[in-house]
Order: sequence, then C-alpha cells, then structure tokens
Amino acid sequence: MIKSSTSVVGIIFPNSYDALVPELVNVRLMASIPFASRYRIIDFVLSSMTHSGIDNISVIVNKNYHSLMDHLGSGREWDLVRKNGGLHIFPPFAEKEVGGPYIGRASALASLLDFLKSQKEKYVIMSDTNVVVNFDFNAMLQAHIDNDADITIAYNEQKLPEELLNYQTSDRIFYYTFDLEQGRIRKVYINPKTDGVQNTSMSIFVIGRELLIELISNAYTQGRSFFMRDVIMPQLGKLNVQGYKYTGYVARISGMKSYFEENMKLLDDYNLDALFSAGPIYTKIRGDNPTHYKDGAKVQNVMMADGCVIEGEVENSVIFRGVKVGKGAKIKNCILMQDTVVEAGANVEYLITDKNVTITAGKEMKGTDTFPVYIEKFKVV
Amino acid sequence: MAKEMIAMLLAGGQGSRLYALTEKLAKPAVPFGGKYRIIDFPLSNCVNSGIDTVGILTQYQPLELNEYIGNGQPWDLDRLYGGVHVLPPYQKAHGSDWYKGTANAIYQNISFIERYDPKYVIILSGDQICKQDYSDFLEFHKAKNAEFSVAVMEVPWEEAPRFGLMVADENDKITEFQEKPKNPKSNLASMGIYIFNWDILKKYLQEDEADPKSKNDFGNNIIPNLLRDKRQMYAYHFSGYWKDVGTISSLWEANMEVLDPEHSGINLFDENWKIYSRNAGMTGHKINAGAIVENSMVTDGCRIKGTVKHSVLFGGVKVEAGAVVEDAVIMGGTTVKSGAVVRHCIVAENVTICENAVVGAMPEGDENGVATIGSGVTIGENVVIGPNAMVNNNVEGGEVE
Repeated sequence: MIKSSTSVVGIIFPNSYDALVPELVNVRLMASIPFASRYRIIDFVLSSMTHSGIDNISVIVNKNYHSLMDHLGSGREWDLVRKNGGLHIFPPFAEKEVGGPYIGRASALASLLDFLKSQKEKYVIMSDTNVVVNFDFNAMLQAHIDNDADITIAYNEQKLPEELLNYQTSDRIFYYTFDLEQGRIRKVYINPKTDGVQNTSMSIFVIGRELLIELISNAYTQGRSFFMRDVIMPQLGKLNVQGYKYTGYVARISGMKSYFEENMKLLDDYNLDALFSAGPIYTKIRGDNPTHYKDGAKVQNVMMADGCVIEGEVENSVIFRGVKVGKGAKIKNCILMQDTVVEAGANVEYLITDKNVTITAGKEMKGTDTFPVYIEKFKVV
Repeated sequence: MAKEMIAMLLAGGQGSRLYALTEKLAKPAVPFGGKYRIIDFPLSNCVNSGIDTVGILTQYQPLELNEYIGNGQPWDLDRLYGGVHVLPPYQKAHGSDWYKGTANAIYQNISFIERYDPKYVIILSGDQICKQDYSDFLEFHKAKNAEFSVAVMEVPWEEAPRFGLMVADENDKITEFQEKPKNPKSNLASMGIYIFNWDILKKYLQEDEADPKSKNDFGNNIIPNLLRDKRQMYAYHFSGYWKDVGTISSLWEANMEVLDPEHSGINLFDENWKIYSRNAGMTGHKINAGAIVENSMVTDGCRIKGTVKHSVLFGGVKVEAGAVVEDAVIMGGTTVKSGAVVRHCIVAENVTICENAVVGAMPEGDENGVATIGSGVTIGENVVIGPNAMVNNNVEGGEVE
C-alpha cells in the first residue's frame, strides 16, 4: 500500500566520488568501502532510509559493483525484501541510447525514467554514499513539506576537507557550497577553494517525483548530465530550492586521509555514540563467532568486530571482521580490513590493509599520521 | 515430495535446575558462548547435515524462543517446503492436551510429520551443546538396517549410574537398556538423540498413547517397548564434543571450555561446521585505553574500560573502569559498574551490577559454587553475593549467600 502524501522512493548513487579514493575503489565502489569495523558505507544511508519508513529503494550502479551486489544480496538485512518496493539494483543499461556507464546524476536518472513514471510515491529522496550519517529522512521531508519547497538539499556547516581543496579539478568530481537566504538556496558554488566553515552540500535531495521526471526528461533531451550544475543551478530563481541544515554527526570521506581520520575518530566514545545512537545500522551478516583474546593479547583503545583472534598487541586501531593477530605482533594506529592476517612478531604502524592482506612474520612497516601506508587486497607483504 | 529425514527438536523442558536463568525463558533459548543460544547448536547441526525440515516442540515459556526462531532465516531454514516450524500444543476437536511427555509431544504432531512423508525421523534434544553430523548418524542407521538407532557417548564408569545406558554387542546391536542403574553393565550413555524409521516410530507412538499407564516418555516407555519386541536397535558411537548443560555448573563449565578449544574440543571457529545465530545488529566492540582484556571472548556492542579475564561476554556488555570480571559468563546488555567485582559466576541478560558490589568468588577448597544472577536484576552498591547464591530479585543492600 502506498501511504498518502508522504511516501518516498529512495535512490542511491553508490559510485559518486569514487575518484577521491582511487586505492579503495580499485576493486569496489564508494558505497562498499568498509567503515567502522563491521560496515560498508552504504549501510548507513540504507539503514537510515529503512528507519525512516522508506522501503522502495533503487541503487543505480555504474561500475565495479560486484562487491556491492554481493554485499546487498536481496536486501534482507535492511528489511528490504518487500512484495511492493524493496531493493532494486539498476546496472548500466547498455542497449538503449541512454545506456552505458553514466557520467552524472542526471544521465543516470534518465535511464530510470520509465521506472520513476511507474512508481506511485509522491516524493523521491536521493543520496550519495560519500557521507556517513545516521539520517532522519522524515525530518527532512517534513521540512520540505513545511517550506512548500520544490527541492530541498541537505547541508552541514563544516570546513571543506583539505583533500577537496587540494583536488585537481576534473570534470567528474563536483562538490558544492551554498549561500542561503532564510533557508532558500540563492547561490551555489562549484568546487570552491575557500577556507573556513561553509554550508557544504551533503548531496541528499528531496524532490517531488513528478517534478523530478519533468526536470530529467528536459535535461535528457538537452544532453545535460549533472543534476546540480546543469539542472538545479539554472533554476534557482524559478524553483523554491531550500537548504536543510543537518546538525547530526557527519563523516565525510574525501580521500585516504579523511577515510583514515574518520575511522579513527570513532575510537572516541562521544563520536561513536553520536553516529550510532539514532538507530541501529544494519549490515550483511557473516555469522562470525565472537572475537577471542588469547593469552598474550594486549589491547588499548580499539574498535573491533567479531571473528578476530588476537594474540598480540593492538593499540589505537580499527579492526574489521575475521582479523588474526599473531603472538608478539604489534599494531598501532592501523585500520585492518576483513580477514587481514598479521603474523607473529610483525610490527606495523599507520597502516591501512585491504581485505585478506597478510603481513608476514617479523615484518616491520610504518606509515605516518599524514600518510598512512595502504596495502591492496590479497597482497602478502 | 517426500523428505528422507526430518528432525523433531524437543524444546519444551523447563530446565528447573537452571532456575534463575529459565524463570522467564525456555532452556533451549538460554544464551551460550558469547553470541549463541543453546538451540543454535542442534539447528546449525541440522542445516550442516542437510536436514531442512525441523519441528520445534515448545511448551514452557515459549515467547522468547518463538521470537528468536522467527522464520528460521539465520539458520537458512526459511524454506518454501519444509523449513523450521514451532509446534506448541494445540486444541483439537476433542479437547486439548499439554505435552504429557517426550513421546506424547511427537505423538501429538504425527500429522505434521506426515505432511513430509519422511522415511526417517531424528529426535533431537534442545538442551545440549554438541557439534554432530547427523548425516553420518543416518549413514550408520541405514548400513545397520536399523529400525531405531541412538547416539551414545562413552562415559567414565564411575559416572555411568547418572545416565540412561545402552548395553550393546560387538555389532553395536542394543541388547539392554538401563535407566540410571546402580550397577551399570555398560558405559555407553544415551545422548537422547534417536533416529527412527518413521513407520516404526508411528506404530510405537500410537501403541504408547493407547496405554493409560504409560508416562509417554522415550526413555521410560518407547525404548523398553522396542526392546521387548526385539526390534533392530543399534548404538551409534559419538566421540566429539557433547555437553548436557542442564545445571548451572555444567553451563558455566561449557562456556569456559569455549575459551580453550584446543583442549575442550568445542571450537566455534570451525569454518566447516559453522554455528549460526540471530544477529543483534550492534556496532563493533570497544576496548578503551586502560582496559585489560585477557583470554576472553568479546562480541559486538561491548564497551570495556575495566578488567576482563578468562570470561565470556555477550553482546552489549559494559564493564566500567575499575570493575573486574574474571572467570565469568556475562550475558547480553548487562552493565558492571565501576569498582564492582564479578567472579566465577553466570550473570544473565540486562543485569545492572552497581558500584563496588561483589558477585561470586573464586573457588577456595571445597567451595566452588557458581553464583547466578537472573535477568533484569539490579545488584545495589556494595552488595555482596556469595558463591552459592541464585539471585532472581533486586538486591538493594547487604549480603546474599
């Protein structure tokens, strides 16, 4: 049953901002990057949508989406196996003229026009996956309705991450900041290099479904690709585009450095509670046993998932599922992803290991806080 | 389409010797090993052995067990045909009955079994921790051309009088059954796991039901009747890990054995024989600076700032700075506040142990009781709970022996 005037279709773009973290998306996409010891980034937006009563969610994938398909499965963990709605994954539709990997949000949506037309929900909420939030979409939708808005875009007040300021602008990566007048967005800046706290777009949009179809149809016939730049910005005078200020916890992944820092920030209980207190975040269940700290384990200030066996020393680190740390091994300031093995006597600092990496016995490796060493999936060092 | 073998899991027992833990909970739903419940073991064994149809016979305090089982998805038992079914006693046209005994519980569900038209039925018990491949057991049953087989464990002779014993010949054919005898003729203890040919089981259940003097129990009635009729009965030797966790001390012991898989034989890390459980969906656990964690199991949602040694912690347990937990089993959602000392005990779910309280004590001489705190209880500041205590109500002050 489609509920009255407040029902929503969710659309998630898991590939946006892939280019910011080229190492991590070598074998995956932004949405399936492991985060906070047992999650993938997409878990946060998906769980938030589920908590907000959105149960018709489309994920428009572009490339490297095998890991995401594997992670999402049928959507059961997010309670998205539904008779009506549920989880849909839209791969690039290669046969039609709009097909092939998309380059912008507008062109991605163009391939979804028939689907959007056949839905009954009144609103569409769209989100990327580079911002980790436990978001109350109902509150944002209510603001959208109260403000009689055509489009509402969420932002938070923050300094632009260094990585964005230093990013060599390409035509594929856009980030935006806003000037607002009584909540209405009057000016949008593309890739600004300004320092200081700014109204920084979170790329979460609320829009009426009919309006979205109209805007995308027009953009498609005019060959426009980018939703914010090509569709919204020219309409700022005509459409009521509102900003929605989000004051909750935001972890913005803009590169390797912020990925490292945002994980480490969760070692502070205050931040951890701020991110998770709004509701549980669901993820794929692996069925690991509890983590076993054996004799010789010495652990200080860590966040760790299930399935680990720890016989060495671990300090200031985020450890994902199934990691093994051998006798006498020392781990400090590291992020060790799923099934990493650190053999006996190894000594590592400021390391990010991808899945299934092995650090062999006695090996020493050290990065620095500004430049953590990254080791790719399946590597044996 | 007929199923070769389906499982019937007896989960109705009250578990009265686990009193503080089972006051509001059926025994098979009692938490075990950090993130499991007892029933996860037989259910996971079924799935790992290729059995996809399981009837769970419940009677005592079924609410939490029912909710836990749900549609069976965590065990891959949400099936189009078969899957897991919770079977409480129900009303029939000619009245209704509680399950009078283990055999009567199966008798009342003959129609459930017939829906699957199985050749064999395996009867399982919901109060044991055991990793067992039932398909090996079935192979044995078929190879012996048996009508009834029972899984047996060799136990030390001095302990044999505590068990139901099978006396078998050199071909494993059962010649005699002794229920807790003073003078045992065998040390083969029945594990309470049986495979029956369904036609035989059905016949004996019906006969047993017709006998007004029967206790409607497998051990007391069905097995002696099979022996009387000289049916093809065989004993299947099982040598893996098996533990009846019917008492507080055996439940505590089994949890501690999880910490020492190399010696105890109960390895939860076995990728080839996974034990599945319903996931609570909590964040990874946190161990803060200043905490000490040694030789322990810790799982999602735990926050540890104090000292944890040789213990099993379940999901969401909080151990505050300055608290000490040692040789303890602490179930989900429990908080051990600053300065409290918790040793050699079982603390159930959602308990609060307030500042500087003392629960349990390390064994001294003959004194090795396992203190037990029931679910939802608050133990007040400075309260002392003795090593033999079973506490089921809030304690605001003083000492409890």
